[in-house]
Amino acid sequence: MSATTYGWLVLLFPLLGMLVTALGFRSLPGRSAGWIATAAIFLSFLAALGALIKIQGLAPEHRQVVSSLWSYASTVGIDAQMSILVDPLSVFMILVVTGVSTLIHLYSISYMEGDRGFARYFSYLNFFVFSMLLLVLAGNFLLLITGWAFVGAASYLLISFWYRRTTATSAGIKAFVINVVGDVGLVLGTYFIFKHTHTLDFLKTFQATSAGAFGHASNEGDLVAGCILLLVGAFAKSAQIPLHTWLPDAMEGPTPVSSLIHAATMVTAGVYLIARMHPLFELAPAAQDVGAVVGAATLLIAGTIGLAQTDIKRVIAYSTMSQIGYMIMGVSVGAYAAGLFHLMTHAFFKALLFMAAGSIIGAMAGEQSLNRMGGFRKAMPFTYGCFIVGGLALSGVPPFSGFFSKDDILLVTGERGGWHWILYVAGYVGAFLTAIYTFRMIFRAFHGEPVAEARELNLKSHPPHLHHAEVPRNPANGEEEDTDVGFPGPTHAIAERALPMRVAMGVLALGAVGAGLVQIPKVDFVIDDFLRPSFAGSALYEPHTKNGLLVFGLGLGTVLALLGIALAHRIWVVRPGMATSIRERFRPAYVLFVNKWYFDELIDMLVVKPAAAAGLFARDTFEQLFVDETLIGGTTGIVRAGSAAVRAAQSGFVRYYAALLVLGVTGVGFYFLLQT
Amino acid sequence: MPPLSILLWLPFVCGLLGALASAVLARGGRTNAEASAGDASAASGRGAWGAPGVVALVGSLVALGLAIAYIADYKSGGAALQHVTDTVWISTLGIHYKLAVTGLNVFLLGLTTLLFAVATLAANLRSWERPRLFYFHFMLAESAVLGAFLAQDLALFVSFFDLMLIPFYFLIGGWGREPGRIKATIKLVIYTLVGSLLMLAAAIATGVLASQQGGGHITFVLSALHALPLSSGSQEWIFLFFAAAFLVKMPAFPLHGWMPDGYRAMPIEVLMVFSGVLSKVGAYGFLAIVLPLFPQAAVHFQTLMLLIALASILYGSAQAFSQTDARLIAGYSSVAQLGFITLGIFSLNSQGAQGALLQMVNHGLVVAPLLFIVGLLAKRTGGSEDVRQMGGLAFRAPVLASLFLVVALATLAIPGSSNFVGEFLILLGVFKAKLAIAIIAFSGVVLASVYALRLFIRAMHNRVGPSADSHEISILDGAVLAPLIAVIVFLALYPQLALHRSERSVKAAVASVQASTVPAQTVARVISGPRVVHRSATFADSVRTP
Repeated sequence: MSATTYGWLVLLFPLLGMLVTALGFRSLPGRSAGWIATAAIFLSFLAALGALIKIQGLAPEHRQVVSSLWSYASTVGIDAQMSILVDPLSVFMILVVTGVSTLIHLYSISYMEGDRGFARYFSYLNFFVFSMLLLVLAGNFLLLITGWAFVGAASYLLISFWYRRTTATSAGIKAFVINVVGDVGLVLGTYFIFKHTHTLDFLKTFQATSAGAFGHASNEGDLVAGCILLLVGAFAKSAQIPLHTWLPDAMEGPTPVSSLIHAATMVTAGVYLIARMHPLFELAPAAQDVGAVVGAATLLIAGTIGLAQTDIKRVIAYSTMSQIGYMIMGVSVGAYAAGLFHLMTHAFFKALLFMAAGSIIGAMAGEQSLNRMGGFRKAMPFTYGCFIVGGLALSGVPPFSGFFSKDDILLVTGERGGWHWILYVAGYVGAFLTAIYTFRMIFRAFHGEPVAEARELNLKSHPPHLHHAEVPRNPANGEEEDTDVGFPGPTHAIAERALPMRVAMGVLALGAVGAGLVQIPKVDFVIDDFLRPSFAGSALYEPHTKNGLLVFGLGLGTVLALLGIALAHRIWVVRPGMATSIRERFRPAYVLFVNKWYFDELIDMLVVKPAAAAGLFARDTFEQLFVDETLIGGTTGIVRAGSAAVRAAQSGFVRYYAALLVLGVTGVGFYFLLQT
Repeated sequence: MPPLSILLWLPFVCGLLGALASAVLARGGRTNAEASAGDASAASGRGAWGAPGVVALVGSLVALGLAIAYIADYKSGGAALQHVTDTVWISTLGIHYKLAVTGLNVFLLGLTTLLFAVATLAANLRSWERPRLFYFHFMLAESAVLGAFLAQDLALFVSFFDLMLIPFYFLIGGWGREPGRIKATIKLVIYTLVGSLLMLAAAIATGVLASQQGGGHITFVLSALHALPLSSGSQEWIFLFFAAAFLVKMPAFPLHGWMPDGYRAMPIEVLMVFSGVLSKVGAYGFLAIVLPLFPQAAVHFQTLMLLIALASILYGSAQAFSQTDARLIAGYSSVAQLGFITLGIFSLNSQGAQGALLQMVNHGLVVAPLLFIVGLLAKRTGGSEDVRQMGGLAFRAPVLASLFLVVALATLAIPGSSNFVGEFLILLGVFKAKLAIAIIAFSGVVLASVYALRLFIRAMHNRVGPSADSHEISILDGAVLAPLIAVIVFLALYPQLALHRSERSVKAAVASVQASTVPAQTVARVISGPRVVHRSATFADSVRTP
């Protein structure tokens, strides 16, 4: 089988899994829907491995293979095929996506066990994976946009999975609409590019670009516009400022969903997009600069917000925003391999952190507030260990994976020189913040006095009791809820009790520890070498590493991470009262961070409120006055007179007279007009 | 292939047969009933699955089969008319009874027969007062719509266009919902009659004026009129008359005053075809008649039409996300969607027109199930169609929720749906013609996601509403939705099926507009020298670039 056959199989398995679990939602017994869905993704992973082997068997210059099944929309100048592009970049992405997805599916089998929407959950989850794979395998703009929108739809469905919670449905529609804004950016950007290249196919677009479709000077107007619009799509999907407000709210979804969609895969689509479009972006340095600056701003702002949040999942969500900021910055300055490398390591350690958070939320019977947690270290040693591993990788402590990948991005950024030094510094400031908020979260949840839930787990009774709330409540608004369809189920799962969860977290923990070793500066370059054929035409791909900067960067990263952890330890473990005094001293900053820099309020004031007001005005005032009365007003008299006629027309033959009348008038009018 | 007249008149004949046959049956039944027990016979004549309904259903299914056969048989190699029926109807006036299948109408025939078939099925699921008359009007409506799509003679088109009004007038007046039935009927008639009369005058003027150019021999056959172009002055006022009729039918802002009352009053089964098909006749009229016959006027009024379309998109969307009546949300969303279609047509290039044509089919395919679902929702909320009374209906109806979800996502034109391909082409066309309008129109795409999801969420999700009583969709209701959703999914996977067949005809329809800029260029050269020539040349180029 060829590489593209494997590519199609990669798409086929999740699609089949989705259909089977969806259609069999009544008849599949027990947890079989979960196992079927997991198996589907695992088969897809195996097919991705097949594609990897096949693509490596080709000569490097032939490692971009396109396969088309049928003509999708090929008319009046557009040329969209149902086609996939299998090359090192897409193979890299499908491996990460299917690999992490398999583990998260496995985890979900236990985590969602008590939920009445079990089969629906796995059907949505398989649909998501299918969409994500479509996004990264798409061979043309139309299919890319399709995958792009489908992951948005899947994300919506899973955020609103507990659909009888109003908090979940409003978070869902928010995520969807902001993502549609991104879709619009993508479509409009495609138009600007299509205008010059006259093709929607990726490879043909890149050929036309290098052949001078946009001229040979850089920063051609339409190209810059197109690339910036593509960035709008990337920002919306990857939760970059100012289109990020949906991501924290998206934490309303089940925790494995946050792990899969809002940490490991979908939110990194923007990174993939910029890497995929690098031939265009490299001719539009202005757009690259926009991407880099927004990425840097996001990594800083999200880091500061992460310091002040108390919802454990939202802390991780802001951390995700911040880390994707690094990636977006990286691929925007030309650190493609580094950005994708960080995408991979981040997928491991962030998925792990979310899973571990899911475990502690299970122990808390759904409660997510850090204010209520504490002292889980002894009660949940496995979860604690996973948090520590994930936290160290996220903070960038050597030799954990995040250390190498984050440093790689910052190294390339620094080497670009000039004003890129600002980005470089921002990156290290962000790294320091990362270490603080990560370990703040860990110390607050696991250290200190054990809370009641932790004490119950510590009891030596057999079996030890897992806390379940007596009256289930929505932690977001305190609303009482039942445990039927559309709400979380009555039972909760923790990693210490559920083997599938432990296996999934264990494998990811290994990745979080060791994945950095594939690309150690001056030692090995697995990612660089593997991805090179996809970036063959890139002028920025091969950085010339300066030893001084490299050593300085690695050292600085280590020092900042350790300092951050030490500071967090001092504030939240050694001197518990210190947090309050710091908060009081820096009150304005604290208020800004805890209110998330007021982005929600700003968007509400500038967009949502005016639109809603316009809608209400149209409905209540304009429609009545203008359409109902003024325009038809001259005829109200006729309406009244006619009413009598229609009432008469209800019964008997008057109807036919009326019909004859209409026909007669038409006919006579016809005749007389002709005679004149 | 059988002649087109069979497809055209079959529904009408079935409606008539059903009415007559069941009249005979009912008379027989009545004597039986008198002999045996009480009111069983009354139910057999009036209840669900009565003879008129079944005959109508069979007729509409056969028509659907024929339409599918025409789609399958369509030869996409050129823009020529296919399966032509052409006989002289009124020889002194030069009116022909000329029908043909073209790339422009072939999928609209499919849409019309499909929607009428499922709507007839839906109508059979409940009992109607005076079922014979109901189905007679219903089937007459199908024939009238098919006639308007098939007509290749301007006078014939106008006749069918006006004929459509009659059955709907009775369907709303006779079977509409209170309150507001009378008001709705009158409003609808006044609006559409004014439009129709303007169009009638315009059509006659077209024939007369063309005959003066063509040596006094009057004709209304479209291909003949096409060969006898009118002066641009006449084109302009005639264009406005036609536009008025079509814009009312769609409806477009600000001529949609009849729509809210009309939508509220119509029985849902009637509304399915009314909203799904009749609005398309207006859009089809622009594409098949106005552009080829009045190309210079189309160019002249392009900006005006684009602005009307834009206003329809924005206004319709704003209404759709503010209204609480589920039916009106669907209605105003149609105003917005038809705005997109108009936008595509008046981009005056082949991408926009191709997208518009595809979108006509797509919109019909989504709005009909959407309205039917609104009816199903009302059955679960004690008859209320107000979203404030709904909520949490997915709770006990997962299948209904899933079907609704597919329809809602297609309505908001999610990429991957055929609706998106249509919208993509439309906006690409507008992007080339008028960039600023395209950018503003994109806000309609975002707003569509707001109103479609808002409707879905407020009906299916959140807490269980005040008068909600959820239960799963029945098999028969599912049978109404299933074919529509199957076609939505199929076209989503393979929109090329429709695009391929319509491409040549669309190009031909637009070509006349593009050609019309050439004489303008020569005229300009004669009158005012090189500066103007340069300007009109760039305009023509911008229209023509692929």
